[in-house]
Amino acid sequence: MLSGILYWRVLLAQTSNKLISPTPTPFSTPEIKSEARDGLTEETEPVIDRLEKLLDEQELGAVWPTNPIKYAIRGSVASGVPTNTITMLLLLPLVAAIIAAARHIIGLRGFGIFLPAALSVVFVAIGPIVGIGLFLLIIAISILYRLLTIKAKIRLQFLPNKAMLLLFVVVGVLLLLFAAPIIQHPDLTNVSIFPVLIIVLLAENFSRVQLGKSAKTAINLTTETLVLALVSYVFLTYKPLQEFALLYPEILLLTVLIFIIAVGKYVGLRLIEFWRFRKLISG
Amino acid sequence: MKTSAILGRNARNQLYSKVYNSARGKSIAASKIRTKRYLKKEGIPIPEIFAIFKKPQDILGFDWSKLPSSFVLKPNKGLGGNGIIIVKKKSEDGDGWITTLKRKVGEEDLKLHILDILEGAFSISNVPDIAYIEEFVGRHKAFRKYAYRGTPDIRVIVFNKVPVMAMLRLPTKESKGRANLHQGAIAVGIDIATGITTKAIWHDKIIHHKPGTKRKLHGIKIPNWTRVLKLAVESGRSIDLNLFGSDIILHPDKGPMILEINYMPGLAIQLANEAGLRKRLEKVEDLKIQDAEHGVKVAKALFASSFSDRVKVKEGIKTLSVFEEIKIKSVAGKKFKTVAKLDTGAWRTSIDRALAEDLGLLDKENVLWYKKVKGAIGSEKRPVINLTYWLAGRKITTPASVAKRLSLKFPVIIGRKNLKGILIDPEITAEEKKEIVQKV
Repeated sequence: MLSGILYWRVLLAQTSNKLISPTPTPFSTPEIKSEARDGLTEETEPVIDRLEKLLDEQELGAVWPTNPIKYAIRGSVASGVPTNTITMLLLLPLVAAIIAAARHIIGLRGFGIFLPAALSVVFVAIGPIVGIGLFLLIIAISILYRLLTIKAKIRLQFLPNKAMLLLFVVVGVLLLLFAAPIIQHPDLTNVSIFPVLIIVLLAENFSRVQLGKSAKTAINLTTETLVLALVSYVFLTYKPLQEFALLYPEILLLTVLIFIIAVGKYVGLRLIEFWRFRKLISG
Repeated sequence: MKTSAILGRNARNQLYSKVYNSARGKSIAASKIRTKRYLKKEGIPIPEIFAIFKKPQDILGFDWSKLPSSFVLKPNKGLGGNGIIIVKKKSEDGDGWITTLKRKVGEEDLKLHILDILEGAFSISNVPDIAYIEEFVGRHKAFRKYAYRGTPDIRVIVFNKVPVMAMLRLPTKESKGRANLHQGAIAVGIDIATGITTKAIWHDKIIHHKPGTKRKLHGIKIPNWTRVLKLAVESGRSIDLNLFGSDIILHPDKGPMILEINYMPGLAIQLANEAGLRKRLEKVEDLKIQDAEHGVKVAKALFASSFSDRVKVKEGIKTLSVFEEIKIKSVAGKKFKTVAKLDTGAWRTSIDRALAEDLGLLDKENVLWYKKVKGAIGSEKRPVINLTYWLAGRKITTPASVAKRLSLKFPVIIGRKNLKGILIDPEITAEEKKEIVQKV
């Protein structure tokens, strides 16, 4: 806390002297990495060690028919492609399949398939706590903005309205980042432009549903999206699964393929529908 | 009820809407204006369109004074009743209108709303849309007591030219006068055979009265019921859809009109009717239906609600013998006396071919459909007809199969489908039996 206040005083002193200070790049490349977070979207030494070590330890047979992807992975890793990028890519179809299953077998809707998947990647990058915090902040801003425009009877056309919302959101996120020295959460410094953009996208969806339908639907869909993203996050960061994906990519992809087909062919009632129609079923 | 009788979203989309609806039909139904154009060509009554706004420039030259004092502003591809403004009358100061929700709107408000619609604020995934203004259809007097401010409508689900299920949708205070269920409107199940409401559902829960009042929601008789059903079936023909929900409003003077057509109808209708849609769809899937009239006749025979039986059960269960005298209604309307066997071993009621022929029941108009039956000589087609009879003081209308029953003593066998509320006493003496047989 003390150091935070100090930071502000230094900052204020600086601004009074000269306005030019080193501008940070839009993509976060913090000098000091926190040890707690093994961000898969960024190069972090310990993770590379763990996964690369695994690759080295695995003994492989002939390339065909069971090992082509394994060899390809080793080739690209040798030429500098990070293992975490490959792991992430391999797990992404699984996450997408889980989201699809959540809709067709359980009945959770969310905002399509892209948004929860992207949000889960955001959680991996900046941590679920900061991710949800940022998300709630942005949603709060969009609700406030809506209430404000209704109260003040400002009516803008659709896209200018959205642009204005984005402006408010950016100001809010900036304020949060300016407060970083006070909050002092290590993940906060990892916040980069992409996670913010993806969360803004979600907030856009939220306010669109709110405008078109109702606040209740918007909150429901958003909660479902968050749940889906959190579940996906657990899958993406579950270490045994990461290792399995890297060591047996053929098996993983094939299993996911079969799973997706099975989900796509399912025409029975969804779990939520069993509940919804329970009176008909028991009656 | 078996879970396989209920239609879920997966099955609706994958097994029915996708298979039975053409891409062309779906694209027409997605646009309310295009739908209306096709319906109009077919001579199907629709609320009249007064104006269409395709581009923002269209609002510039528009003369608002030309509109009648009540109208509805709608997005062409709106979902679930969103983005609709219903204007009921001109405001007293003359520079604006009063909506059904008693809010005042001016020309500027409407213009901005049209621009919102054009930008796609109310369409799926915000694709640019078209706005239009149409005739306001007020409440029919039959519903005046039950609906809150807005206009109630009747949703009929049609499959293979047969109206399989119907409900009345009543706007509430919560739904802000809109008839959409997830906005908070009430769904009331309707008996297909009589057009009388059966059970009301609000937020997926059973209610008996209009919220906040003591008005019963069951037992409402829908006026022009047969016409409503026929119109629902006819509305799908020109649009090339085989499974759809047709939304029908009753114009106070002009009668039933089609409001819009939905190729992925909602599933809450099953709760309001206490019936599984999937089972009903399967029942009519393979029938050969000639026209709307035929489809309505089949529906009335197949999906008559059992609530009239239930009323009778309350009156007391009747005990009958295995052989009972019945009266059959001939096509000419005359009553014909005969003796029937009450057979709990049979499901459907059947009638002897010769007798059916005599009574004119095999006339083309009275045949519902043909059923394939495998017999000793191979498969043959047997007609299933509409049969009305009186048994122990009860009038029953039911589909009945026609069979050559030369070896049987009784020209009619009543199956257990029509034996609700009846107990059968097997202790019947040989003498009594002889007596009855002699009567035949």
